[in-house]
Amino acid sequence: MNESFLLTILILSPLLGIVLLSVMPGNHRFINYMGVLGTVLPLVLTLIVFSLFDRTVSGVQFVEYRQWFELMTSISPNEPYTVAYDLGVTGLSVLFLMLASLITFLASLTALRLKESAKGFYILFLLLELGLLGVFVSENLFLFFLFFEITLVSMFLLVGKWGGFNREKAAFSFMIYNGIGSILLLIVIIVLFVEMKTTNITELTMLLKETDSLEFLSGDTRTWLFVLLLIAFGIKLPIVPFHTWMVRVHVEAPIAVVMIHAGVLLKIGAYGLLRFGVGFFPQQLKDMAVVLAILGVINLLYGAFIALVQTELRSVLAYSSISHMGIVLLGVASFNTAGLQGAVFQTISHGLIAALLFLLVGVIVDRFHTTKLEELGGVASQAPLFAGFLLAAGLASLGLPGMSGFISEFLAFLGLFESMPVIGSVGILGLILTAVYMLRAVLAVTFGERRPLFDGIRDLTAVEIVPSAILLSIIIWIGVYPAVLSNTLQLARTIGIGG
Amino acid sequence: MDYVFLIPILPLLSFLIILFTKPIYKKAGLVGTTLTGAAFLCSLVVLFSHFAQGNYLVEANWFSIDTVMISVGLEVNPLNALMLVIVTLVSFLVHMYSMGYMANDERYATFFSYLGLFTFSMTGLVLSPNLLQLYMFWELVGVCSFLLVGFYFYKPEARAAAKKAFIMTRIGDVGLLVAIFLLFWQTGSFELDVIFQAAQAGDIAPSLLTLIAILIFVGAVGKSGQFPLHTWLPDAMEGPTPVSALIHAATMVAAGVYLVAVTYPLFSASEVAMTTVAVTGGFTAIFAATIALAETDMKRILAYSTISQLGYMMLALGAAGYTAGVFHLTTHAFFKALLFLAAGSVIHAVHEQNIFKMGGLSKKLPKTAALFLIGSLSISGFPLLAGFFSKDEILATTYGDGRYVLFVIGLLTAFLTALYMFRLYFLVFLGNRSTEAREAPSVMLIPMMVLGVLAVVGGYIQTNWFGTFLGDWLETTPYTIAFVHPEAPFWIPLVASLLAIGGIAVAWLVYGRKTSIEESNERNGLHTLLYRKYYVDELYQGLFVRGSRVVAYFWMYVDRFIIEGGAAAVTYAVKRFGQAGVKLQSGQVQTYSTVAFSGLVVVLLLIAVLGGYF
Amino acid sequence: MSSVPLSAYLVTALLLFCMGLYGALTKRNAVIVLISIELMLNAVNLNLVAFAKYGVGASIRGQVFSLFTITVAAAEAAVGLAILIALYRNRATVNVDEMNTLKK
Repeated sequence: MNESFLLTILILSPLLGIVLLSVMPGNHRFINYMGVLGTVLPLVLTLIVFSLFDRTVSGVQFVEYRQWFELMTSISPNEPYTVAYDLGVTGLSVLFLMLASLITFLASLTALRLKESAKGFYILFLLLELGLLGVFVSENLFLFFLFFEITLVSMFLLVGKWGGFNREKAAFSFMIYNGIGSILLLIVIIVLFVEMKTTNITELTMLLKETDSLEFLSGDTRTWLFVLLLIAFGIKLPIVPFHTWMVRVHVEAPIAVVMIHAGVLLKIGAYGLLRFGVGFFPQQLKDMAVVLAILGVINLLYGAFIALVQTELRSVLAYSSISHMGIVLLGVASFNTAGLQGAVFQTISHGLIAALLFLLVGVIVDRFHTTKLEELGGVASQAPLFAGFLLAAGLASLGLPGMSGFISEFLAFLGLFESMPVIGSVGILGLILTAVYMLRAVLAVTFGERRPLFDGIRDLTAVEIVPSAILLSIIIWIGVYPAVLSNTLQLARTIGIGG
Repeated sequence: MDYVFLIPILPLLSFLIILFTKPIYKKAGLVGTTLTGAAFLCSLVVLFSHFAQGNYLVEANWFSIDTVMISVGLEVNPLNALMLVIVTLVSFLVHMYSMGYMANDERYATFFSYLGLFTFSMTGLVLSPNLLQLYMFWELVGVCSFLLVGFYFYKPEARAAAKKAFIMTRIGDVGLLVAIFLLFWQTGSFELDVIFQAAQAGDIAPSLLTLIAILIFVGAVGKSGQFPLHTWLPDAMEGPTPVSALIHAATMVAAGVYLVAVTYPLFSASEVAMTTVAVTGGFTAIFAATIALAETDMKRILAYSTISQLGYMMLALGAAGYTAGVFHLTTHAFFKALLFLAAGSVIHAVHEQNIFKMGGLSKKLPKTAALFLIGSLSISGFPLLAGFFSKDEILATTYGDGRYVLFVIGLLTAFLTALYMFRLYFLVFLGNRSTEAREAPSVMLIPMMVLGVLAVVGGYIQTNWFGTFLGDWLETTPYTIAFVHPEAPFWIPLVASLLAIGGIAVAWLVYGRKTSIEESNERNGLHTLLYRKYYVDELYQGLFVRGSRVVAYFWMYVDRFIIEGGAAAVTYAVKRFGQAGVKLQSGQVQTYSTVAFSGLVVVLLLIAVLGGYF
Repeated sequence: MSSVPLSAYLVTALLLFCMGLYGALTKRNAVIVLISIELMLNAVNLNLVAFAKYGVGASIRGQVFSLFTITVAAAEAAVGLAILIALYRNRATVNVDEMNTLKK
């Protein structure tokens, strides 16, 4: 494949916005619009990548490779350790890339109402986008880690400065949990690097698969590395009991950031688990599949039960995210094509649905100044359009057929029922609970008696309708025509299993 | 036949047009009615071309799992051609009726868009050739039901009822979903044809097949409001009455029966599954009929009657009476839709649903009263009306299948049906209480009349006297289902008619002769038990709703105290450790460097003593 | 002709370094501390030059290094004095004991 700079241009594209924003005066009236414009360029570039992506061939595409630096060590003086700058996308990452730039763009729209220190906000916001794009196009672990850390730092600042009442606590617990995750990830990266002399992901996948003879790493080491990886990405996903930071962030962070956080950032956990966990250590994953499945069921039911009694909409959605991520784990644990495909679908689909739900929560915060369920109600009388969107989003979240949530849950459970029907039967109760808590929360907001207090509330404005409608139509599109994902994904080729 | 795709597309179009074009607000009813009417005509064409051309199947690739291609398609066979006609006909009539009934509602257009969506989903469900597609539409009709039950969203009862309807049916859906998973891993396909062939070839272990059939039945139980998942259906009467007629009487709730009929080869391969279906059906039939005896809300009586009749259909299917079940489904769609529409006409006129607060309405609403009477007679199995033939068919099959206990239950239910229906009729329409009421407009009366005619003549498609057209046609399937046609003893129709007339007579003795009857608040034990619907709701409330809340609170406290507490403990430990370290920091640079230098000296000494690296 | 042995240079440097270290660690006056640090640096320079002449791999590199050190030391002294003056302006003291704000 010809050398192209498309991906480099893509990950650097948010910089243009950052530079332009930083030379603008902080109180400029168009500063917010400039921020939004900054996210348009990456979106356009991602669309180009997405459309140029060749779905008929396997392997990494748009590869860029530059030697970055070499490390001489006394252990092997003749073979230097090379760290390269290499980018590329696979069917899996191109989907995540698309998700990231789309949701960032839509989230930037919701931040238009931001009045104070919008300049700093948008600069950090674009930095976060840069990190996100980088994470998904990195073809080696060092770059991945680098961009991963960029997202952490910018996220920390965004939550800490523009968050709600308890923002600092939320920011710190975000930083501490994710910092621990990073350390574990770094350990894995270093061990792999030292042992395998490369950090290129595709190369590592091939090497680790070919050397089942354990030429490089012993079985025990691999198991440990897998467990470390599981914890590192499990914190991000999050897996119970590492989830408390995520609930805090969901409740405290500004809406635009929560949209990205729930929609994309948490998905790095799933991405990492699929790309590295499944890719590098398939045997270890198979051995621990039951543990993973049990963790998945715990996530699913735990999140669902707690969401059932939350009195605040954001918390309901936070715990619902935990519950939905349980399904990703179940899909991964089933370790067959259906299950893994379900896991990827669920990740993407939940990204879209969560973004939509939080977008609407943003509207609630803006109009009603509260997200307590008991203080809301009967909104469908005054804001029917908003109520319609919220109901649609809720139905999508509880897995209504014809929307993306259904097909993902269906595939994940289909996969699970092949390998572990008993665990599947327990887990599937989660689908009932999901319906219960989701309807409870959504109906508490929209249905019920008309409250005179809310008379004269503005329904959705154009700038809110557009992103909601885009998200909803993509959700329906995937639900009605899932081939749009599965064609790009080419699962067997990307992760190299099944088939 | 190639126009089959129009049948679901037209109502979908109606949904989209009404949803996205605000200006036609007042025309929404007309748009919806026209498009559904067109869909009905298409269904008729399809039905007649099916007579000429036989089955039809068209499929397209949808997406792939691994190497398995999942397809979507449309299938026409006798069963779903019949269902299509029923669904589109009732839907068309209900659309038309709603133009009058909902005329003054401020969400008039929304109502019709929901109806369009429902008709689309229901026809899609009926046309599905594979289980995945069927399941998707299965859930979609559930959502439409949810939306329409909650149509009066500002009423707390409607909100609760909508939620309940969705959740209770979802419990059943999960059973169906598991069955689909199991079938997929057994046969590698969602296609009904492939699955039936595999089942017939014995590729599925018998015990597993039984399990699968029962799981499918769980889905049907949820949707068709069978015991123990029946409690949502009476509550669903919070929705507008046309909806009750369309969704909760004629079509969607019958989807459970349809599901069992569609997957009949799986059921007929397992004796246990068949018995489960028959017993559940029989029990539900009499169980709901007894509750209907004590109910005072007009629509709820009809709802319990629906549950009871659906139980009848299940009983028939479980007793190997494939034709009988489907036949009763057909006639029931006509007379129950008629009853609901007539009830709606009454409610529209008097704004009251308690039968003890009505009376003497036959003078004010003569046409409605006559139509209601036809419906009541038909459902009670009055000789020569539609209900008589289908009920007779069911009783005969049950008897012929050797299920005598269930046969007796069936007879008893027939008696009870006549009793509660005429209790309702006499209380509402006879007597001389005078209430202000005006007869419904003709846009509401015409659909009722069409249904009235069908409730009378609908039974002649399958009789022992003129010919068993329906059965002969339905049973042309490539699968060897043991279709049983026992020689029914001649006395069964006789006894059934006598029981029906007896029920009417008892109702006359108790309720018909008195001029006005006050609802008595004194109830003896049995009456209270019936009035409280056997306390099933209370039981579920205590057991499942409370139970899950207890579990939820338990986990919430675990979350709050153990997990967050654990994290807090770790933080605290780190903090204390840090505080201990702080004490060493005097801020004196010279002290620091002294310590550092001493450390260096120690290290150097160690190296010197130990010689080289450690 | 080597009249002065390497060890003599090293011992001188050692003494110089110890004096510097003692001064840097014990003196209260920040100016003295800075001067002491200069002493330590000069001890190092002495070592470098000595090794450049008599070391195992004797070469010009050591002298070059010491030149660098001298430059850096000058810069360091300048920066150190600048900080000291800034501190004196703010706190009116050059006593090292009172400069303990690093604690917090």
